[in-house]
Amino acid sequence: MQQYVNVNIDGAIIRAVKGTSVLDTAIEYGICIPHLCHVPNLSDIGACRLCIVEHVVNGRSKVTTSCTLNVEEDMVILTSTDKIRKLRHNLAELLVAQAPNSRAIQDIAVRCGVTDVRYPFRNEDCVLCGRCVRTCTEIWKARAIGFVGRGKDRHVDHPFGTRPDFCKQCDNCIQLCPMTITPCNGPMKLGEERLCGQCESQLIISEQAPGGCVWCELGEGFACGRYA
Amino acid sequence: MSRLNSHRELEHLREQIRTQRQSITTTIMICGGTGCQASRSQDVADSIREELSRQGLDSSVRLCVTGCHGFCEQGPVMVIEPENLFYCHISPEDAFEIVHLTIMKGEVIERLLYTDPVSGQKVKTEAEIPFYQSQDRHILSQNREVDPCSIEDYIAAGGYSSLIKVTNGFAPDEIIADIKASGLRGRGGGGFPTGRKWNECKEALGDEKYVICNADEGDPGAYMDRCVLEGNPHLVLEGMMVGARAVGAQKGYIYVRNEYPLAVKHSRIAVDQARELGLLGDNILGSSFSFDVDIARGGGAFVCGESTALMASIEGKVGEPRAKDVHTVVDGLFHKPTVLNNVETWANVPSIILNGASSFASKGTEGSKGTKILALTGRIKNTGLVEVAMGTSIREVVFDIGGGGVNGNSIKAVQTGGPSGGCLPVEKFDLPVDFDVLSEAGSMIGSGGMVVMDEASCMVDVAKYFLTFLQDESCGKCLPCRVGIDRMLEIITDITEGRGTSGQIDLLEELADTVSQTAMCGLGKTAPNPVLSTLRYFISEYEAHINEKKCPSGVCKALITYSIDPEKCTGCGVCLTGCVHQAITGEKKEAHVIDVQLCQKCGICRSDCKFDAIQVI
Repeated sequence: MQQYVNVNIDGAIIRAVKGTSVLDTAIEYGICIPHLCHVPNLSDIGACRLCIVEHVVNGRSKVTTSCTLNVEEDMVILTSTDKIRKLRHNLAELLVAQAPNSRAIQDIAVRCGVTDVRYPFRNEDCVLCGRCVRTCTEIWKARAIGFVGRGKDRHVDHPFGTRPDFCKQCDNCIQLCPMTITPCNGPMKLGEERLCGQCESQLIISEQAPGGCVWCELGEGFACGRYA
Repeated sequence: MSRLNSHRELEHLREQIRTQRQSITTTIMICGGTGCQASRSQDVADSIREELSRQGLDSSVRLCVTGCHGFCEQGPVMVIEPENLFYCHISPEDAFEIVHLTIMKGEVIERLLYTDPVSGQKVKTEAEIPFYQSQDRHILSQNREVDPCSIEDYIAAGGYSSLIKVTNGFAPDEIIADIKASGLRGRGGGGFPTGRKWNECKEALGDEKYVICNADEGDPGAYMDRCVLEGNPHLVLEGMMVGARAVGAQKGYIYVRNEYPLAVKHSRIAVDQARELGLLGDNILGSSFSFDVDIARGGGAFVCGESTALMASIEGKVGEPRAKDVHTVVDGLFHKPTVLNNVETWANVPSIILNGASSFASKGTEGSKGTKILALTGRIKNTGLVEVAMGTSIREVVFDIGGGGVNGNSIKAVQTGGPSGGCLPVEKFDLPVDFDVLSEAGSMIGSGGMVVMDEASCMVDVAKYFLTFLQDESCGKCLPCRVGIDRMLEIITDITEGRGTSGQIDLLEELADTVSQTAMCGLGKTAPNPVLSTLRYFISEYEAHINEKKCPSGVCKALITYSIDPEKCTGCGVCLTGCVHQAITGEKKEAHVIDVQLCQKCGICRSDCKFDAIQVI
């Protein structure tokens, strides 16, 4: 039988299923916590750090990722304080500067209130969110791709760099990849990357409803927990 | 040796070894630490041993190759008991003289004595040397007493007495109460109260528990864990046994990095010896306590010093940290409750149990008790390992023990705590070595590295160095650490190469704050410290780089030019022949000129010039 605990998220007392993460609970109850590396039914690694929240324990708050934090009785969570919004903004800015050529990441940046990027754009092909690796390992049990290297050299690759026979070519890795959703106006040219920010509906959401889930288009594009 | 089945048998063995050694009149203790071995201390020991056997002195003179004595600057060093004679810079050729003059006739060889740099006097014993005088060598002094490969030495010196105590009526709760009362805090960097950690692990549910010794020391310029583990492995092992008894663990691991071959070797030998005597294994000393230890070798990743990454590495997985919303004392190695402590923390445990919490707590400050081993390196006269009581001021460590800057240079800053620590300026040198005070000042004790910097160090360049190190060593799993450090490095590189703009300092500060708050593990959370602390104390240097496009210390190559002062240049031609880029021209006995286009700013000419004629602007 399912057990329940009461958690306090942004002042609302929520009856959450014991054993689920704070992020899943929040999404289920319509509280928007932006996230990238989290995919429903896959394990959470806390790589993108966008889903950070403040976890208040004994009056002291601790910044932690909500995807790796499981609900507990009488837990107090704040998802949208000024501090969190600022940190999330800075993280989204780092992310979009790294890979402006992704609609999903552009949308996340706008959702997190990024209107100006202070770093030179880099236009990389991968942001190492690990969605592909986890679906290959956990859903398909294939382990045909994994992380290789450390730090700056970290990248996703097949074992020893060649596609193994046990890769079933299911393409699930590609479907889950945030980089596969190209910007509305097509791929940006090298050296001409920019923060798009043209999508009015997205801008309005981020300004007027920073904390509430409004079933934004962003989620549909790359499997936000709400659409699962 | 046969297995010991009760604490009486261990005491009996101790007496036996001590009786056997009564015939020994003289003990020669040669440092066999990695530093002294590099300057041929093993050869010295071999030659002395040969000479001793030639003279038939084998039975009355004991030659002991010990762990690190600490004064690495003067290596190889040796101490001859009972006179406590201290010899330094010994070479294998001195062996004959040492045996014939000092051992046989009792004469002192003046040449091998240490010269006090201040008074110029020759000094006979360690106690008279300023380097040792200001120290409180609680753990390091034990290094000198024992041969790390000999369990007899350790037992004869009173070792494994705390094991007797904890297997003979001293309950786990009492152990934890003692450790709590002593105020011992983790020596690895975090400074978490050890007693509290043990208690949480003891309370955690589950029958299977682990203790781990973290010897994956990777900070640039720090080597205290290596010296303790390779110099006195049984002390660490004894500490782990006490810890295992307290929390109820049956299995322990020593996670030691493979780049410390001597530490790996010595800890292996120690574990084998302890197993042979039944000090590890089932029913230790006839009690119900069973415990065994394995050695796990680390592959050289700095991040594996982080607790969850270290545990993943022992489990055979990729050494990457994971989210720690549930602490490792509840969900650690193999998802079982685990206590992870640093080498030095474990080494402090036996004496606390044996001598009581109050003797440990009598040293130190309100929040930080006991002593701390520091690795003193950098632009300083006496480099080496020092151990001081907590609360000793940085000034005492750097000037009294360290002897001040090399060549009389004035000291600008000290970098404490490795890549996770920060730089403290000379105005802050009155701060005590204390966990809370240093972290409030923007630095930390960390594992105890202290890199001293003088006027020739550019603080922006120092921050850049540490960021480069961290960028290499970050595992790359989470965004703020991987990309954040990279972006900080990008900004600092811009600044050091003359592309800096005034807005970048604010951006750097904001980014550093974001990374420190959002990164997943300790490495990322503390990674911005070198940047934040240099920004806090040396903002003028950043401003000089950005606004005036100048590097005040003459380090950042893009911002400096070399030139020759025609007044001082005698035209000797040394720089001309020394310049590998053929950038210097000039006639004999006339002032030379540097071609700015060809000059690669390597600085060879500057160090070659005897007349101080090369200027860096």
